[in-house]
This record gives sequence, structure tokens and C-alpha cells, in this order.
Amino acid sequence: MNFSFLNPLFLIGIAAVALPVIAHLISRKSGVVKKFPAVRFLIASRGDASARSRLRDLLLLLLRALVIVFLVLVFAKPALFSFAPAGSGGPKALAIIVDNSFSMGYGDNFERAREKASELIETLPDGSFGMVAPLVARGEGRLSPSSGKEALREGLSGIRISSTYTDNEKRLEEAFSSLKDAPGQTKEVVFITDLQKNGWQNEKADRDWLDIIDVSGEAAPANHAVTGIDASYGKDAVTLGLSVSNFSDKPEEQILATMSAGGEELSAYLDIPPGGTVLNEFTIPGEYISGDKSPGDAQDRPFDNDRGAFKEGSAGIPRDRLAVDDTRYIVLSDGDDFNVLIVDGDPREDARLSETYYLARAAETISEITGAHITVKDNESFLGEKLSGYDLVFLANVGDVTEGSAKELREFADRGGTAVIFLGERVRASSYNALLKDLLPAELIAEEEREVKIVPLPQPIFPKEVGERLSQVGVRKHIKAVPYPGAEVLLGLEGGDPFMIKKSLGKGSVFLITSTADTSWNNFSITTVFLPVVKGFLDTPGSANEGRRNFTVGDTIAIDAPAGADRVEVISPSGKRYVIDTGSAIFEKAYEHGIYTVRESGKDLYKFSVNVDPRESNLVKLETAPEGPDAEITPGLVKIYRDIWRYFLWGAVMLFISEAAARAVFS
Amino acid sequence: MANGILDIETASRLRRFYFRSPSRVRGRKAGIHKSLYKGISPDFLEYKEYNRGDELRQVDWRLYGRHDRLYVKKFEDEVNLAWCILVDSSASMSYGEGGSQKLRYAATLSATLAYLLLRQGDSVGAGSFSGNGLSLIPPRAGNSYITPLLDKLESLKPSGRTALAEPLLKALEVFKQDASFVIVSDLLTDESEIEKALQLLKAAKKETVIFHVLHEDEIDFGFRGPLEFLDMESDEKVIVDADAIRDGYRKRIREFTERLKSLCHEYESRYVLSPTSRPVEEPLIEIADK
Repeated sequence: MNFSFLNPLFLIGIAAVALPVIAHLISRKSGVVKKFPAVRFLIASRGDASARSRLRDLLLLLLRALVIVFLVLVFAKPALFSFAPAGSGGPKALAIIVDNSFSMGYGDNFERAREKASELIETLPDGSFGMVAPLVARGEGRLSPSSGKEALREGLSGIRISSTYTDNEKRLEEAFSSLKDAPGQTKEVVFITDLQKNGWQNEKADRDWLDIIDVSGEAAPANHAVTGIDASYGKDAVTLGLSVSNFSDKPEEQILATMSAGGEELSAYLDIPPGGTVLNEFTIPGEYISGDKSPGDAQDRPFDNDRGAFKEGSAGIPRDRLAVDDTRYIVLSDGDDFNVLIVDGDPREDARLSETYYLARAAETISEITGAHITVKDNESFLGEKLSGYDLVFLANVGDVTEGSAKELREFADRGGTAVIFLGERVRASSYNALLKDLLPAELIAEEEREVKIVPLPQPIFPKEVGERLSQVGVRKHIKAVPYPGAEVLLGLEGGDPFMIKKSLGKGSVFLITSTADTSWNNFSITTVFLPVVKGFLDTPGSANEGRRNFTVGDTIAIDAPAGADRVEVISPSGKRYVIDTGSAIFEKAYEHGIYTVRESGKDLYKFSVNVDPRESNLVKLETAPEGPDAEITPGLVKIYRDIWRYFLWGAVMLFISEAAARAVFS
Repeated sequence: MANGILDIETASRLRRFYFRSPSRVRGRKAGIHKSLYKGISPDFLEYKEYNRGDELRQVDWRLYGRHDRLYVKKFEDEVNLAWCILVDSSASMSYGEGGSQKLRYAATLSATLAYLLLRQGDSVGAGSFSGNGLSLIPPRAGNSYITPLLDKLESLKPSGRTALAEPLLKALEVFKQDASFVIVSDLLTDESEIEKALQLLKAAKKETVIFHVLHEDEIDFGFRGPLEFLDMESDEKVIVDADAIRDGYRKRIREFTERLKSLCHEYESRYVLSPTSRPVEEPLIEIADK
């Protein structure tokens, strides 16, 4: 056994031993000088007491010095160590990350992962530091390694399978960085996973510290899943669209898809090609389509959705080895009516010449997928339009803006709406700057006519393929704009002027495009990127209005609380109750999939659904397994540490007590 | 003001007490002390046969009637006594604050005693000694003499070392007649010096009272913790842990006072321990006739 310190820098504190010595000397040498007449008797008496006093002083000095020494040693963390061969047999700092994303629910993958983790814990060499953590954490604190196997076992027993999709690499990097301060030469992260391709941003994923254990047991696990469910409302019926995907290389035939809603159960047999998705619509007629469907009335509906006989539904397919994604839930709500207003500032009789022709076509195309309702109005109609029922408003070359319409737009954005403003020759910069100052992300300067391209910038709201094709866009004319502080330039033009600027306002967003929505100033609307960009506006998180009722596991959900309520209660599908303060009205515990109920003072307000992320249903594995760290293990010897600082802590406490006792005895 | 050191209240309470010499003295004036001379005191002493020269008025004619022989009645003669009050004004007497300062206490005790002695008709002289020096005002009787005595006692300034023998020799030169000596001192000097002084006083047949003045700190030693002590006369320094040596010190100071008491007894002097915490009337009562 050898002796070492894990925090040797603290040994500097040993110098503090000089403190009691100095205090002792000071007390002896420079105490209070007292004039006294009978000093000769003191001198005579000193001889008797000096030996006892000296003994006491030395004893106290020794005890005090030892207290300091022991405390310093506690902080310096003394440890005994011995040498052992490095490598798999030697001590190491090991982080075991157990994949608990819901794809691990396939078969007994998760159980096997736990068993494997348990084996790793039990075979961890003495002197190792380790930790066990789930891939999908639910707000746990910082990862920190520990030297006790019991702590590791506890960590493992606390891991539950989640319903969430996650970013593997971020979590693994976190785990590795948490090993940074752990002693030992070998630091590695063992990731026990099904090796699902989704979740890896970087397919190579080869890190010398990462060891991946594949517990899937199958080269190509097959899975089919309900990957989508949405509703569109007709005059006297609701159409529920069900998407079922086949994540395997074999066709699935005669899959029984069942839709349950409003007490009715509708079924259909589906044939799904390998890797394909089939959309099947179930139309449920009935009187539950009550009330006017016009967007303007949406705000007047009470919280308990008065649609009639049913408010929620579910769709399912026969359970396979990954059961969690075989059912999907939906709650009917106003939020599912995604209402889009397109304001055409330059309408023409020939629709193709209208300012919003391409914009409206793009929005209609997207609405076929999303069920959005498109309304096109001219400038004059817009001035009197209430925007409360809309989620997304496009202004295209709108020349006339009044204070009232500006206020309406501002309130619309505050509520969570998305406004997209295209400019054009009808737009007067000074008028916009004055009336829409609070709304615009930038100050408009003047028209500028020169041929420039869009500078591709990596934008989070656009898919990767859109970013690559943005260079197709040529702009002949634009209005020069200077972004206000806090605004974000999403797309720029050659020369440095912005093309698309975003500003967050209240719960919503405002996008400014410094050119036109038609082809008069640019070719944006006729390029292949226009449609995805418009879809990006529809997908903007802020564009969801307050009525949204369908979410994905892990979403942060804004709760619609009635005015005057201090708190509401959210009840999860398993019956867990969460109290939500209406001050923030944010629910962040959507870990289960199913139907949640929002309740206030014992009364159900509304329900919302939470579904698993369909990306996790695709169990296709990484083609090449990342290389493990075995080849990187440093040969030679490593130290096996055994902490002994606790003994010094106890010693310091005992010495402290002894010092107090000695003082009492000698006084 | 000279009256500052005179404890009038104490003196008033002690006005019924008398301070008498235990032996016969050669007083010149009538007083309360037994004179060596037979006199006219109402107190009968003895008979003696008449001799030429005896006053006829002292012949006891009744006795002559019974025995036909002339006898003369002898009566006690009470005379006044001279007192020499010597106050130690060495540096060590400056210890203490206010009324508990040893020198102040010694002066108050001496002034009160002088006042009482003058009231009973004795003559009183007072002085101070430190080092080998003696400053003395001669003895006189009369109540009015209290003023110079008080002035003298009030003006004492502590300095120098405690020495007894040499100043006493000088005082004995002044007080050749019968006189009692009162020494008020902390006696913090060599015991041999003290013994020598007592020898001198005994040899000179002087009645002596020694008031041993000590401060409470010198008796109890109530200091705490480590302290550096500086001797007030020798400038000697010593660092001690007061707590550690307290018991030893107390033992030594007790032994010291016991030895002084023994010495005084041996040389027929009266020893009165007078801690400054003790009201001055108490040591005075100890030496008074009750």
C-alpha cells in the first residue's frame, strides 16, 4: 500500500499549524503588562506552576496543531493506493448510460440492458469510480461519479423506460465530461442501447472513450406504429386521419387499424409497404359538430369544449413487440383548426397576378396535410378584421395599415400568433416604421434595386435540404432594413442586407421578408424552397394558439387557465396529479403518453393528448457500430485508491474534544 | 484639601475609643497614659513613708492617726504621649485605584488616627519614608495641629523602594522622649530589613504598631490568564499564567504575613493586617482601648 493525496494542493494549509504556535508565543510574550508590587512572590510561585503550566501549554499546543493538521488532511483527501494492471481488469472511471428511450421497450431490450448494466457494476474493479444514469433524464441534477457500488445499484434501480425521444450524443458527452474530475487513468462511457439510428446526429459516433453495448439482439428489428392522427372538421362530421407506418423491410398486410371516438369504433385493414406509411381517414358523422366553425367564434367557446358527444379519441393497431407506439391519442379542440389569414395588398382580377397567388397556393397545399384553414382578404377587409381566431397572418405588400389594425396585429402576436410580413411597392417605409414600430423586427429604410442572391445560413426553422437550396433565390429588389436589437436575421442577402428577420413578441413571432411574396421583386415564390419555408411558418411553435390540445411526450405545454384561477391541476393518464400555478401556467411533466385532464376546483376544464415521438418508432439501427475504447486502453499500471480522509475527520473531531477537555482539566 | 484624606465619619464613630500606651511613659503634660511619675491622679497607687521634701498635702493623715507614722499617698500620674506615625511612600504603595490605593488608604488611616490622638491630648508627629529618606514633621499636641499633619499626609507622593531601618534611625533621633511608633507600610522589602527595624524600635523601648497595608489583588491574586508583571520598585518583569500560579502565590503571601506577625510578636510590636478593602476603623479599633 502506498499513500497519496487526491487534492495535494490543500496541503499548503499545513502552514496553518504555525497559527497556534504563534498564538502561543504571542500570548506568552506580548500579553498585558501589569504593574504589581509583589512580583517577588510571583517569581517564587512560578517555580511551582511552571512545570505544570509548561506541560499544559505543550499539550494544548500539540492538540491544536494536530486539529489543524487533521483538518488539512481531510481536505487534501489522503488515500491509500496500490498498483494494478491497467485495462479492463484495472480500476477505471466508468459511466454507464442505459438507453431508456421508448424504442428500448421493444421486446425485452430494456430488461437486458438493465441486466447488462448490473453485470458491469458487479464486475467493476475495486477502486473504480462509476455512475449509472438513464439516457433520458427527467430533470435529474448534474451527473457525478461515486466510488460505492451500492450507489450504482441504486442508480440503476431508479431507471425507468420513458416515452421520449432523445439526443444520444449530447447525453453521452455530458456523461463523459462528468468523469473529468474522477480519479484514475481510464475514463470511459458504456452506452447500453438498441443502437437505434435515430438519436444519432453524427452517424460515425466513434469516440475513443465510448463503448457501446447493443442489446437489441436483432439486426433489423421490425416495428409498425401509429405515427399520426389528426382531425378535420366538416359541416356535420369530423374526419380523423390515421397514419400507420411500417418500419421494416417487409410489407405489412391486412393490419387492422381501429379508431375509437365518441363511443364509436371504426376499423380498417391496411396494407403497408416496407418503410411506408398509409393514411386512412375515418369520418364520424354526428351532431357533435355544434356551433359555428368560423374562426371568430373560437374564443367565445367555453373551456369544456362543447363539441358534443366526444372530445377525445384514440387509434390503435395490433400490438407488436414495441407496444407503446401502437396507440395514438387525439383531443378535439379549437387548436386543431389552424387558421391562416393571407392579406393581399395588391389583389388582381386575374388571380395569378395577385400578390398572394403563390403564397395562397403554398398555404393551401400545406393545409391539405395539416388541415389548416386558409382565408384570403384584401387590404381593405383586413383593416376591419379581428385576428383573434387566426394562428398565422401573412401580410403581402399591404400598403394601408391603420392604428387599429396595427394594434390588432400586436395583440395577435402577444397571444401567440405568427405574423409574416412581405414588403412590396405599396409599402411606405415611414408609415410602417411609425405604425408597426412595436411589431416590425427592423426599421425599413428605402427600396434598393440590385440583383443579389440569398446567403444560405443554417436556420433551425428550415430543414437542412431547404438551407442548401436557398441559393436558388434571386432578389432583384428589396427594401433595406436595419434590424432592431433583439431581432434575429434568419436569411441575408449578398451585400449584407437582411432578407428574413425574426422577432419574438409576447408568445408569438413576427417575420419580416424584405422583398415581395410574388415574383415582381424576386423569384422566391417559384423556387423549391418556398413551400418548405411557408410550412416552416406554419410550424413555428409560437403560431399555435391557446386551443392546442395535442402534444408530444416531453413538450412544454402551456396550460389554458380560466381568468381568476390561481392554480389548476393536471392529471396524467396514470392518475398522477400536478398542480400548476396559473402565473406561469406551464406544464413540463408530460412524460406519459395518453390523455391528460386539466381540472380547476374539481371541475374538468379540458383535456389534451400527449403522444410518443414517431421518430423513435423507427428501429433501424446504426450501420456501423461505434468503436469501443478497448483499443485505447493505456497499458501499464494504474492506481487503486482507497479513501481514508474520513478517519482524519474523525481524528480531528476527537482531537477537538480532547483539547476542550484538556482546557477544562487544567483550568 | 487636607480634609480629603481624613475619614471624619470614622473618626466620629471612634471618638469614644482611646489609644493608650501599654507601658508607662515620661509624658510632660497631663494625659491619659500612665506616667512613670507618681502624680495627682485620683487612682491610688501605694503608700510610702514620708521623707523630707514630700509634699505635706500628700500625707495620709488618717493613717498617721492609726499608726503615728507619716505616710505619703502615691497616686497614678497620667501624662500625654508622643506618637510618631510613619507612612511608607515607596513606589509599591501607589498600587490600586482611588480609595483602594495603598498609599491613599495608609494616609487615611494615619490621618484618622492622628486626629483621634490629638483629640485625646497626645502629641503627634508624622512623616513618610521611602528609600532611605525620611520626611517628618515633629510631634505637637493640640487639635489645631491636625491641619499640618493632614497637609503632610495629603502631599505624599509614592516613589523609591521600601526601606525601614534607616528612616527609623532618623525618626528615633527626633523622638528621643517616650513615644509610640505607628508604621503604615506594605512591608514589601526584605524580611531582614523589617527585623532590623523592629530590633531598633525594641532597643529604643518604643511601643510600636505596624499596620500592614495590602491591596486585595496582593492577597487574592484574582488575575486571569497569562500576564506579564512589572515590579513597581525593582522594574523586574515576570510572565506568568495567573491561573496557574494563583494557589502558590496565595500560599506565599499568607506565609509572609504570618512571619511578619511572628516577628512583631517577637519584638513586642503589634501587627495589624490592613487590607485596603477593610474599612480603616477596623484596624484602628484593633489597637484602641475598648
